[in-house]
Amino acid sequence: MIKAENVVKLFHGYGTTVRAVDGVSTEVERGEVVVVIGPSGSGKSTFLRCINGLEVFSEGHIIIDGVDLADKKTNINKVRMEVGMVFQQFNLFPHKTVLENLTLAQRRVRKRSKKVAEEKARALLEKVGIPEKAEEYPSRLSGGQQQRVAIARALAMEPKVMLFDEPTSALDPEMVGEVLDVMKQLAGEGMTMIVVTHEMGFAREVADRVLFMDEGKIVEVGTPEHFFTEPREERTKLFLKQVL
Amino acid sequence: MNATEKIWPWKILLAVILIFMAAGTWGAVKQIDYQWRWYRVPQYFFYLAEDAQKIPFDGIVTKVEKAGKTTTVTLTSESSEIVTVEVETEELRVSEGEELFEDDTVGFSSEWRLGPLMKGLWTTLWLSAIASVFALILGLVAGLAKVSKNYTLRGLAMIYVECIRGTPLLVQIFIAYFFLGTVFDLSRNVCGIGALALFAGAYVAEIVRAGIQAIPPGQTEAARSLGMTMPQTMMDIILPQAFKKILPPLSGQFISLIKDSSLVSVIAITDLTKSGREIITSTFATFEVWLVVAAMYLLVTSLLSQVVFYMERRLAVSD
Ligand SMILES: Nc1ncnc2c1ncn2[C@@H]1O[C@H](COP(=O)(O)OP(=O)(O)OP(=O)(O)O)[C@@H](O)[C@H]1O
Ligand SMILES: [Mg+2]
Repeated sequence: MIKAENVVKLFHGYGTTVRAVDGVSTEVERGEVVVVIGPSGSGKSTFLRCINGLEVFSEGHIIIDGVDLADKKTNINKVRMEVGMVFQQFNLFPHKTVLENLTLAQRRVRKRSKKVAEEKARALLEKVGIPEKAEEYPSRLSGGQQQRVAIARALAMEPKVMLFDEPTSALDPEMVGEVLDVMKQLAGEGMTMIVVTHEMGFAREVADRVLFMDEGKIVEVGTPEHFFTEPREERTKLFLKQVL
Repeated sequence: MNATEKIWPWKILLAVILIFMAAGTWGAVKQIDYQWRWYRVPQYFFYLAEDAQKIPFDGIVTKVEKAGKTTTVTLTSESSEIVTVEVETEELRVSEGEELFEDDTVGFSSEWRLGPLMKGLWTTLWLSAIASVFALILGLVAGLAKVSKNYTLRGLAMIYVECIRGTPLLVQIFIAYFFLGTVFDLSRNVCGIGALALFAGAYVAEIVRAGIQAIPPGQTEAARSLGMTMPQTMMDIILPQAFKKILPPLSGQFISLIKDSSLVSVIAITDLTKSGREIITSTFATFEVWLVVAAMYLLVTSLLSQVVFYMERRLAVSD
C-alpha cells in the first residue's frame, strides 16, 4: 500500500542543514494501523507530511498504491485525494460551516453534486457523533468536536490511507477519549492508518505495529507488546520511561 | 470608579474647545475684513436654467394647450411637418394661429440643473470608483505575485510596489499625462484614472500580501491535503479569510483614493477640486467654496466609512 524507501528530508537554514528525516524505509500494508512515536523534533511530522506531499523530500522514494511521489510526472493532487490527513491544530476552515467544511473538497476535487456531497457529509457527521452541528461554524465547537469534524472532512474524500499527526495533543484531557474512539472505530473498519501520537494506550489497543523514531531515523520497530515488555534499544527505553 | 459615569464634563470641555476654535477663526477673519457671501454658494449645487424654446422652421402655431403650469404648443411647417414644444404657461410668447419664422421664440421652459459643485462631485466619484476597481484588480494580482513561489513574478511585483510607493502621486500623474499620455495618445481621463489606479494598486498589493500571510499556513495545508489545487485553495480558503482581515485597511485605502483624486485637477480634469477653483475665479468667494468643497469630501468619506463598518459587522458572523 505505502512503501517508503530511504526517504531523506533536509531543511536548509542559515548555514545549517537539518536532516529532519534521515533515511527512513518502511512498508505499510492495506488495513494496517501503524503508530509512530518518538521525542520532539525526531522528524515524525515531517515524515508524515512527506507521505502526502506537504513536504517535498530530498532523496528516496515514497510509493503509494504503485505511484511514486518522487516521480516528477506524478500529479500530487491525485495522490492527496487518496491520502487523508488530520492535523494537531484541526485546521478547519473557520469561514465555512461544518457542513461546508465537509462538502467543499468533495465538490471541487471529487466533482460531486451538492446533494451527493451533503448526503455523504451528514452520514459522516453521524458517524463521528455530531450530526446536530452541521450548520454551526467551527469556532462554536469544542476542540474534541472540531477534531472529529476534521476527521470526517478527511474521510469525505474516501481516502485509502489516513494520516494523523498528534490528533489529540491540542485537546483538553477530557476530550481526548471521544477523538480516540472515532479513530478506534475507523481502525476496526479496516482503514489503513499512520498515527503519530503520544497516546500509548491507543497504540497498545489498536496498533499493528509501532515505529520509534529519533533524530530522523527509525530506531526500533515492533508490535505494541514488544515495546511495552522488552524494548531493545537504549534510546527507546529512555523515551518510554518518560512518556509512560 | 466607573469611567463612563463621568463623561459629561469631557463632553462640555470638547464643546468649549470647538466653540473657542470657531470663535477664534471668526475673529481672525473679521480682522482681514473678508466679505462672506454664503448666499452665492447654493446656486453652484443646483440652479434653475431657463431655456428659450424656438421654432425649427417657418410655420404656424396650430394648437396651444394649457395644462396648469406647462403649455404644449403644436407647430406645423409649410410642408406639414409637425413639432410640439413644452413651455411654461407664464412664459408663453405665442398664440394660436400665429405665423412664425424659423428660430422665433415660442416661450421659455425652466429646469433644475446640477451646478458645477455637483458635477465635480460626480466626476470625483466615478473617477475614484473606476480607479478603485482597477486598483483592486491590480493590487490583487500584484499581491498574489508577491507571495508566489516564482522569482520573476515576485521581482516584478516588488519593483512595481517600490517604484510607486517611492514617488509622489503628483509626479506620477504628471508622468502619466505628459509622458505616457503623449506617447500613447491617451485622454486626460485615462491618464488620471490610470495614475490613481497604479498608485492605489501598489498599496492594495501590500495590504493583500499582508492579509494572505496572516492566514495560518495550516489552512493551506488542510486544503491541499484534501487534494485541492493552489488556485482552488486561494479562491475558496485563503482569499475569503484574508478579505475579511484586509477589509478595514482596504477601505481606508479607497477612502484615501477619493481624497488623492483631487490631485488629478492639475491635469485639467474637472473634478470637485477643479470645480471649486473654477467657481472661485468667477465669484471670489474663496473661503466659502473651499470650506464647502472640504465638507463635501468629508461627507463622502464618512458615508463610506459607515458602509464599511456595516459590512464588517455582517462579515463577523463566523467568528
Ligand atoms: N519548515 C521547517 N524548516 C526548518 N526546519 C524544520 C521545519 N520543519 C521541521 N523542521 C525541523 O525538522 C526537525 C523535525 O521536525 P518535526 O516537526 O518533524 O519533529 P516531530 O517529531 O514532529 O516533533 P514534535 O513531536 O515536536 O511534533 C526538527 O529539528 C525541526 O526543527
Ligand atoms: Mg510533530
